[in-house]
Amino acid sequence: MILKYDLPREVTEALALTGEEKLYYAVPYDIDGKGNWNKDGYVLVTTTRIVVYSKAEVKSIPIADCDAAKTEACIGGGILILSRAGAEECLVHYSAKHMSRYAYIARGINILISGRFEEVESNEYEKICPKCHKAIPGTKECPHCSKTGGFLRSFLRLLAPYKARVFGISLLMIGAAVVTLLNPAVQRYLIDDVLRTSSGDIKTAYLCLGAMFFLSVSIVVINILKSYYCTVLGAQIAKDLRGKLFEKIQMLSLIFINDRRPGELMNRIISDTGKIREFMQTTFCNLFTVLFIFIWDMIFMLCINVKLALCAFIFIPVAVWLTGAFRNNIHRRFHLQYKKNDDVSSNLQDVISGMRVVKTYGKEKEESEKFNRLAQEYCKVQSKNEIFWAVFFPLLNFIMGLGVFFVITVGGFDILGEKLEPGELFQFITYTQLLYQYISWMSYMPRDIMNLVSSMERINDVLDQEIYVEEGVVAAKGGSQDDKICHDIKGDISFRHATFGYKSYQPVLWDINLDVKEGEMIGIVGASGAGKSTMINLLMRLYQIDDGKLLIDGHEIDSLRSDYYHSQLGVVLQETFLFSGTILNNIRFSRPDATMEEVIMAAKLANAHEFICKTPDGYNTYVGEKGHTLSGGERQRIAIARAILNQPRLLILDEATASLDTESEYMIQKALERLTKGRTTFAIAHRLSTLKNADRLLVIDNHRIAEIGSHEELIAKKGMYYRLIKAQLEMQNG
Amino acid sequence: MEQKRNFEIESMNEEVEQMTSLRQITAENAVFTKTDGGFISLDFDSGHWDRVNVIRLFPFTDPDKYISVRTAEERSREIGVIMDIRSLSKETAEMLEAQLTLHYFTPVIQKVIDIKDEYGYAYFHVLTDRGECRFIINMGGNAVVRLTDSRLLISDIDENRFEIPDVFALSVKEQRKLDLFL
Repeated sequence: MILKYDLPREVTEALALTGEEKLYYAVPYDIDGKGNWNKDGYVLVTTTRIVVYSKAEVKSIPIADCDAAKTEACIGGGILILSRAGAEECLVHYSAKHMSRYAYIARGINILISGRFEEVESNEYEKICPKCHKAIPGTKECPHCSKTGGFLRSFLRLLAPYKARVFGISLLMIGAAVVTLLNPAVQRYLIDDVLRTSSGDIKTAYLCLGAMFFLSVSIVVINILKSYYCTVLGAQIAKDLRGKLFEKIQMLSLIFINDRRPGELMNRIISDTGKIREFMQTTFCNLFTVLFIFIWDMIFMLCINVKLALCAFIFIPVAVWLTGAFRNNIHRRFHLQYKKNDDVSSNLQDVISGMRVVKTYGKEKEESEKFNRLAQEYCKVQSKNEIFWAVFFPLLNFIMGLGVFFVITVGGFDILGEKLEPGELFQFITYTQLLYQYISWMSYMPRDIMNLVSSMERINDVLDQEIYVEEGVVAAKGGSQDDKICHDIKGDISFRHATFGYKSYQPVLWDINLDVKEGEMIGIVGASGAGKSTMINLLMRLYQIDDGKLLIDGHEIDSLRSDYYHSQLGVVLQETFLFSGTILNNIRFSRPDATMEEVIMAAKLANAHEFICKTPDGYNTYVGEKGHTLSGGERQRIAIARAILNQPRLLILDEATASLDTESEYMIQKALERLTKGRTTFAIAHRLSTLKNADRLLVIDNHRIAEIGSHEELIAKKGMYYRLIKAQLEMQNG
Repeated sequence: MEQKRNFEIESMNEEVEQMTSLRQITAENAVFTKTDGGFISLDFDSGHWDRVNVIRLFPFTDPDKYISVRTAEERSREIGVIMDIRSLSKETAEMLEAQLTLHYFTPVIQKVIDIKDEYGYAYFHVLTDRGECRFIINMGGNAVVRLTDSRLLISDIDENRFEIPDVFALSVKEQRKLDLFL
């Protein structure tokens, strides 16, 4: 995402950078003071100043005067707010287009205020290409004007691994074209040189017929082969891409995945690869054939008779225009029909699923009337469309046929004037028909190609992703995954000015500072949404912190090898996810090479052994989706066994005992006590009684650490923790 | 102060009670003042708020009525409701309207100059009450929502929102252009 736009000259002049001063961010704001669209406003942030530029006024605020900057999301836009001298000031108003941009700017300003000179960068993508102003379909580069996005290039890149097969298919395609074009030539020979001359004999005629029969059969055979190989190749490409995408998506950081809508990545794996398969089957399959036929068809026509060829060509633009207009119209009409149909069915679904409400309120009549009205509208659109189709489609065909008609007329006169042989005319007519036959196909091609390019861009966007991330990591931390440290965690953890937000404009943790010693158990409390789970997500390295540092035994978390790091974590979450499979597989998930004895021991320590014994197939009981159902407490204990088996160095418990009945909670408490002994542990809990073993408690409020200390210290302090405990006790006692 | 009270049982009860009552803010019981930073402060019912936010309860059907006045913090609470902004003094009404303009940016489309669709996106060129503009919508999603029979809400790919209060007030030609997206 662009944070430094190219500035018009008058803005640069008005800014007038001095000596050491550097421009960090330059972003337009598109709403003026009266709430109207605005084209010439900019917010400029340099190392020492914030400048709000408009044609009428240039406002300059020294960074040294500011306390903090933040953005506030409004409806359809947002505002940038600056705090100085204890008061909040609305600096600019911008539309939703710049919402995340300004969040980065606010963060950048805050870093400058804190006296550091790091420049914030954004990995988010632009939604509209700044060059051609067209929509970018969720990719880094604009497919319309990116250097790498040229259709041919990315298409060739796609086909590169299948060179031999593509070559074979290309030969078949050209073969199909040659055979198609040859047939009319043989027919002309038959008419002109055999049938119409005295020298022609029946043998040559049979020979010609034989050749024509052979060519017709060849066309069929070649087409079958061509379709077969294209379908197989398309399916193969789609399968390979799906595999690659799946592998890559698993490797990507959660931030990349969370940046995208849930369905989007699934779409890329399933629908975008499907579109490539479809293109291979329907478009690519005929691509060379049609192009080859089209070009040679025109050349042959010009060779046979220039005048006739020009007569045939004259109608091409008309035909192209007509097909385009007809198609647009049809599209519009049937889209409307589809929508009306949709209205009817969604109304039906509404009413049927809400039948109880409709009946209890006695609204049957109103609902019937509404439904009838919708059905009536649908009926009207549908009949209108069918009539349109019935009238215009034959009409269109007739107009498209006019080209041939014109050729026949002009050619017929030429034959009468003995300037043209009848066979030649016959050949010519066939060529003209071929030409018009493919016009409609050709007019679909730009759309098909663009669809393909968009799909390819979206796929490449994911496949190329790691390279961008790696580059960032290599540049920032010096080393790829292989060069990173395989560190055995001891358990000293430090947060230093750590700041993080899932969305750029909403920081969830703000300037967190914390030192945890080896073996310490830290309890984290706070209201929902305060940032407790986020802290743990950062520890689990599911996300990268935006600013500041997270140190594991003095090493920055990013400098550690991630698979090695993850193998030393033990995690028990509120909702335990069990994979489809046996209990054994689920416990062994963390360490597939564990022996049966180790698994049983882990289950015993987790207080899981007893209930596992009571399941029908013991450790081989099938659980998970469609399997044996386990209670929440039982799942939890399996998760704990999983964690124990792994002998983790760092233990993370996120509401591990929430929503359990007292007995299972007690069992789990006991299991957890065994597990946490001697290990650095971070535990989140709403029920504060579960944290009584914690060495220190951390109260998070308003995205910051509000209080920290032991249970006794915090009670003595009579602060937030004290009030939380009191409130919980009071509520329990009614 | 707010945080502390949250955890006390009595104050929680009190707060629940407060949340259920509809407190009217009128010209008589409240004083709004413009702050230097471009926001508004409120003195109401023996309380003072340095900054308050205003929210329309019926932004489409009654933009000038039923304005909820809320505290400015993230977990904001309602202080009271203004039943009709025109019942306040002219200056106050203008001040509140300026705040509403700051909070809501939903340009109203007055004229559809051109719509082009290309590869799954539609490129709009329109005239709105906030000036002429161009925007792009995704044709695959639910970019155009029919709030009522005649009122449309269009969301572009940047999540900007555009309103058409009465689609039938547009010319037949403009309506035909829009048909494709309904």
